[in-house]
Amino acid sequence: MDQYLNEMPLLSKLYLNAASSAAKQRLLRATPVVALPSRAVEVRGVKADLKKLTEFAHLMGMPARDVLPSGYIHALTFPAAMSVMVQDDFPLPLLGMIHLSNQVDHFAPVHFEQSLTVRAWARNLTGHRSGTQVQIVVEVLSDSGLELLWRGVSTYLAKGIYLPGLDKPNHQFASGERPMFSAPKPTAQWHLGVDTGRAYAAVSGDFNPIHLSVISAKALGLRRSIAHGMYAASRVLADIATQRPDTFNWEIFFESPMFLPATVSLHIADVVADDGGWAKSEFTAWNAHTARPYFHGFVGAGLSTRARETVAFE
Amino acid sequence: MSTPTAENSYTPTVRNAVIVGGNRIPFARSGGAYSHSSNQDMLTAALDGLVARFGLQEAVIGEVAAGAVLKHSRDFNLTREAVLGSALSSQTPAYDLQQACATGMEAVIGLSNKIKLGQIESAIAGGVDSASDAPIAVSEGLRSVLLDLNRAKTVMDKVKIAARIRPKDLSPDAPSTGEPRTGLSMGEHQALTTAQWKISREDQDKLALASHKNLAAAYDRHFFDDLLTPYRGLSRDSNLRADSSMEKLAKLKPAFGRNLGEGATMTAGNSTPLTDGASTVLLASEAWAQAHDLPMLANVVDGEAGAVDFVHGKDGLLMAPAFAVPRLLARNQLTLADIDYFEIHEAFAGTVLSTLAAWEDEEFGKERLGLSGAYGTVDRAKLNVNGSSLAAGHPFAATGGRLVATLAKMLHERGHVDGRPARGIISVCAAGGQGVVALLEAR
Repeated sequence: MDQYLNEMPLLSKLYLNAASSAAKQRLLRATPVVALPSRAVEVRGVKADLKKLTEFAHLMGMPARDVLPSGYIHALTFPAAMSVMVQDDFPLPLLGMIHLSNQVDHFAPVHFEQSLTVRAWARNLTGHRSGTQVQIVVEVLSDSGLELLWRGVSTYLAKGIYLPGLDKPNHQFASGERPMFSAPKPTAQWHLGVDTGRAYAAVSGDFNPIHLSVISAKALGLRRSIAHGMYAASRVLADIATQRPDTFNWEIFFESPMFLPATVSLHIADVVADDGGWAKSEFTAWNAHTARPYFHGFVGAGLSTRARETVAFE
Repeated sequence: MSTPTAENSYTPTVRNAVIVGGNRIPFARSGGAYSHSSNQDMLTAALDGLVARFGLQEAVIGEVAAGAVLKHSRDFNLTREAVLGSALSSQTPAYDLQQACATGMEAVIGLSNKIKLGQIESAIAGGVDSASDAPIAVSEGLRSVLLDLNRAKTVMDKVKIAARIRPKDLSPDAPSTGEPRTGLSMGEHQALTTAQWKISREDQDKLALASHKNLAAAYDRHFFDDLLTPYRGLSRDSNLRADSSMEKLAKLKPAFGRNLGEGATMTAGNSTPLTDGASTVLLASEAWAQAHDLPMLANVVDGEAGAVDFVHGKDGLLMAPAFAVPRLLARNQLTLADIDYFEIHEAFAGTVLSTLAAWEDEEFGKERLGLSGAYGTVDRAKLNVNGSSLAAGHPFAATGGRLVATLAKMLHERGHVDGRPARGIISVCAAGGQGVVALLEAR
């Protein structure tokens, strides 16, 4: 049975929940659960906060429009995704999970005045060379629940957690066999100060301690605080704002954490369609000093292949 | 060696510049719906709506010019940044300009002239202002210390320079509407002019009431449907008071010129409030408009800028259009009687009425305009017929674009008068004793 919520839960409570359930698990040493809960979390009547929306756009350096930017939708719906991951029978610990990738489809523009239905669930619990990965799907629908407006799939890794019976996918590179990264010519550079995580937390509501300060990050085993993955995604999307049509999709793969402060070099390249119009923009980002890759991905016109198949199927 | 081939050869003949249409966001009283919106946000919103209305996605426009009166220094390339953030082709050049409240008018006239000369085929003129998100600077004292600190080489130098900071240096500098040379605010200046021309409180209130009634009626008959895009939940100008009345206006206490005694007639009701908003106008050559299957509402026939010596009170601060309009019309062999619509920007009701009074005054006509008598009378039935700034509000640089798009649509709807295209005049006064006026003609 699905879990229905009348309003978005507070992220702060969810984080506290996550911390206490992590402690409980350690104490009880319960036998690991190896299946995902087969229910979705649904929240109805979700609306944008106009002031936060404006602050979000300004932090990303983009004009504040009436249509919600992708990253803002992710932030708005994130508590629903978190609620999936703090369910008692969710097999992986929420705290310390690493964000591997995001795949998002924009089916139609979402206006700030729209009342929305948000559904979130988990899928694809699979092995990974350094732990176990899971996908959290979030769908944003019109208030009636009939029209699909936005779908985001976030892939997370629980590092060092190996669940019995889950194979490591064989297409992964064995450790030490990463392909060599050769940095292209940068087209832009971001100077991220130590307060980048706090600034994004303020507009997104995601106060995960690993982003806030050196001390809070160290408490969770990191040497310094790191930038939010969605900060990077939102900002790169703002940089590729010009040509985007109403229906578009994007994907980002995170390769290494952006320890703050950071100087991020970026390369953005446009790909032209047969008819001369914009097809997509590909982006790659790397550490300007060490040339270690941070993330890469693309923004493309229309829906992703996967979304097109789903729509046809429906 | 190779020579690039031009798409069209340059022929120095003058051709028509047409107004295709316009788009603005509703104007909001400062501290209201747009209090957290920046100039960049609002100009982009107005531009987005224009692009959507006329199908300009990925279009390379000849040039975009816009500006803001209250501008953050970081927004030095405000207009180009708005273009880059819009759906227009990134190959569209843009520049910022600023002529106080006449910014939008000057953008329209300057770009029209480029079209007329064949330098560009299409253009977007615009303007934006936010009184809510106004730039606040550090005090002069602190600024000087900070700049010196930046130049200091040794720690001792830095300590010495930092020691110069006084508590008073820490209070910020906010922009004011005061004239730098006189220290008087625009309202105080106009109060003197209003008293000089003996404009009554009742006449000012009547003009304000007409502005609200006319604007409300225009909204009610959907006149603004294709001139406006909602933004931040607003679909009408938030200053509009459709239920205003002479009784309500009469209750307001004077806000300017309070030391004038009987002459204190200017209230918050017959003066425009501080407002946030943005506007844009699409201009084109006939060939470009036709090739893109776009409407042609009106021609930008001519424009004229003027200025008066207000510093020692020879003329009122906002009286420049009283001189510029007669010059503009004379150059086009026209008189006030040949004009079908007058759009006289209502900075204050007193500004409009002082201008009309000057034109009706024999002495002003003879001594100041060099005519044989009074310049003429404006038929009130032709004045600001769809409301103006008293009702809509006045985000300084955005007012020109609002007026041009509104008048162009009115002229197009009117079509012909006595077998000739309908004509309209726009008059906008500006800080510094300036004014910019323009003549439009229906198509």
